[in-house]
Amino acid sequence: MLDYQTQRRIESFLHDEAKLLDGGDFEGWLKLYEPQGIYWMPSQPGQTDPLNVASIVYEDHGILSIRVQRLLEERALVLTPMPRTTHLVSNIEAQSGEDGDYTVQAAFVCIEHQADKQRIYSGRHTYHLALADDSFRIRLKRVDLVNCDGTHVPMAIPL
Amino acid sequence: MMNGKDKATVTAPTAEDIRALVQPNRVHRRAYADPAVFELEMERIFSRLWIYVAHESQLKKSGDFVRTRLAHHEVLVTRSDDGRINVLRNRCPHRGARLCMSERGTSRLFSCPYHAWVFRPDGSLSSVPHRKSYPAEFDLNDPLNQMQRFEQIAVYRGFVFATLNPNPEPLTTHLGEMTDVIDNLVDRAPDGEIEMADSSFSMEYRGNWKLHMENANDIFHPSFVHSSSVMPARRAPANASILDQDQTREMLMANGFGYEEWEGIQLNGLAAGHTYMTNFYNKGVLSNQQTDPVIARYRAALAARLGEDKANAVLGMNRFNNIIYPNLIINAQYQQMRVVTPLGVDRSLVRIFCFRLKGAPDEMFHRSIRFLTTLGSPASMILSDDVEMLERCQQGLERDDGPWVDFSRGLGGDRAEAAGAVSGLASEMPMRVQFQAWVNYLTAEAA
Ligand code: FES
Ligand SMILES: [Fe+2]
Repeated sequence: MLDYQTQRRIESFLHDEAKLLDGGDFEGWLKLYEPQGIYWMPSQPGQTDPLNVASIVYEDHGILSIRVQRLLEERALVLTPMPRTTHLVSNIEAQSGEDGDYTVQAAFVCIEHQADKQRIYSGRHTYHLALADDSFRIRLKRVDLVNCDGTHVPMAIPL
Repeated sequence: MMNGKDKATVTAPTAEDIRALVQPNRVHRRAYADPAVFELEMERIFSRLWIYVAHESQLKKSGDFVRTRLAHHEVLVTRSDDGRINVLRNRCPHRGARLCMSERGTSRLFSCPYHAWVFRPDGSLSSVPHRKSYPAEFDLNDPLNQMQRFEQIAVYRGFVFATLNPNPEPLTTHLGEMTDVIDNLVDRAPDGEIEMADSSFSMEYRGNWKLHMENANDIFHPSFVHSSSVMPARRAPANASILDQDQTREMLMANGFGYEEWEGIQLNGLAAGHTYMTNFYNKGVLSNQQTDPVIARYRAALAARLGEDKANAVLGMNRFNNIIYPNLIINAQYQQMRVVTPLGVDRSLVRIFCFRLKGAPDEMFHRSIRFLTTLGSPASMILSDDVEMLERCQQGLERDDGPWVDFSRGLGGDRAEAAGAVSGLASEMPMRVQFQAWVNYLTAEAA
């Protein structure tokens, strides 16, 4: 068990992240990542291999920054009109891992509203967080959608 | 999902109606939005032509099965104990319950959960519980008590096709010159065999199936539709990503091209409705022109099997999307495949797969997986914008104002050649070729 204060700080870090995404501050969101940080959304339940098994998203900072620029500046077709989202994170469990890292598990729900469409995403987040100054940086964020191996429609906003 | 519509409720369009929908430079919106036209397509295209249903690498041992669709039917493609491939309707002959609920797997028997009739992978009825309560004349061997079999199955170099047509032309006749691209995909494997990757993507869109097939050989749209990923990819520093040797960034940039490249891309169309493009996106990490150590090892492995000249010829085949009419897209260079399945006049399923070249370095497969993710994932920065446009087209075609869809670009510039047509500038020829074939298939009377 982590001390109450660390647990509390990790929870607010996750809440802040959700708020950045809901507010459309994708650049701010990307700043939460380490320079080598990875965002991984597997396509298979329990997927362990990102090389031999396709992922819905498997991107490091360099590719994520292209994704973010696309969201922000170029107004991708799939983003007209810009979707509005509510990202909820809950059931947050944090543990200290190796090298001063923290491993965090959480459940999430995201409701995305765009024009006349509404979509619901849900699943579990797993984070590897590194301590940085008085906050954290994301080494790895893994997003396991409950329907990761199902039939999808285009996804645009990070979960 | 099956289309629940009862065929008898719509009046089939006549041959005259169909011919009136397609003119040299345009096509009527009803081709995309009229449920009666859609029913006719299901009957005369998706029930009569050879339709891709599975790859043999998914059916290695007896009991292996894949669930897919053939026209209006959900089918199981199975390998039975006698080594044969079977295409069976996924429906229990007892009371019609859907039998198998898995996408793929291995099963020695298919057992219906309702009253426990049990079927073998060839569809035959193996047992029913409490046999004596059935009438004496109840026969396990009566085809009516077995899973319905579709007998017309043909395999070309591992690609399994089936049709409901009782008298189809030979598969190789239908494929014609398109066998080249299947050959090329398989020949790229140093061991002479390819294997379908376990992971794939499925996406559904609200639009007619043809919109996707047209988009796949529409070389005019990328600069516009994909600019939101081209621009940021161009601005991003090279090799900023440590994951993939810049493969993703280069793929995104490849959609940003202009007049010069448009003129360099050649489009080809065949009478059966097949089309393909050459000379597009040569710079990727998987491409023939690469000289990195992975490609060098791969080339050496291929040359060891085929000899230098043949290996060079195989790797030199420079085609991008190859569309086998009606709904299969193969990209041999990058070991990718797409299947577009119509679910309704305005609903389609796109499934995107990739292959492993047996005997090639593992990194080649990683790159192919990467290609699949970058282009075909639901979160793809490329395909998501395509799908958005397909849906907007469908929305615009739902109503009868401005009923014509123009496809005249390049009309004067195409050349007729022995095998078919070859495009001039950034031509919409592939769409014209597809619709010419469409008219031919829809107006052909008996199968
Ligand atoms: S419905 Fe299948 S056994 Fe009765
Ligand atoms: Fe496109």
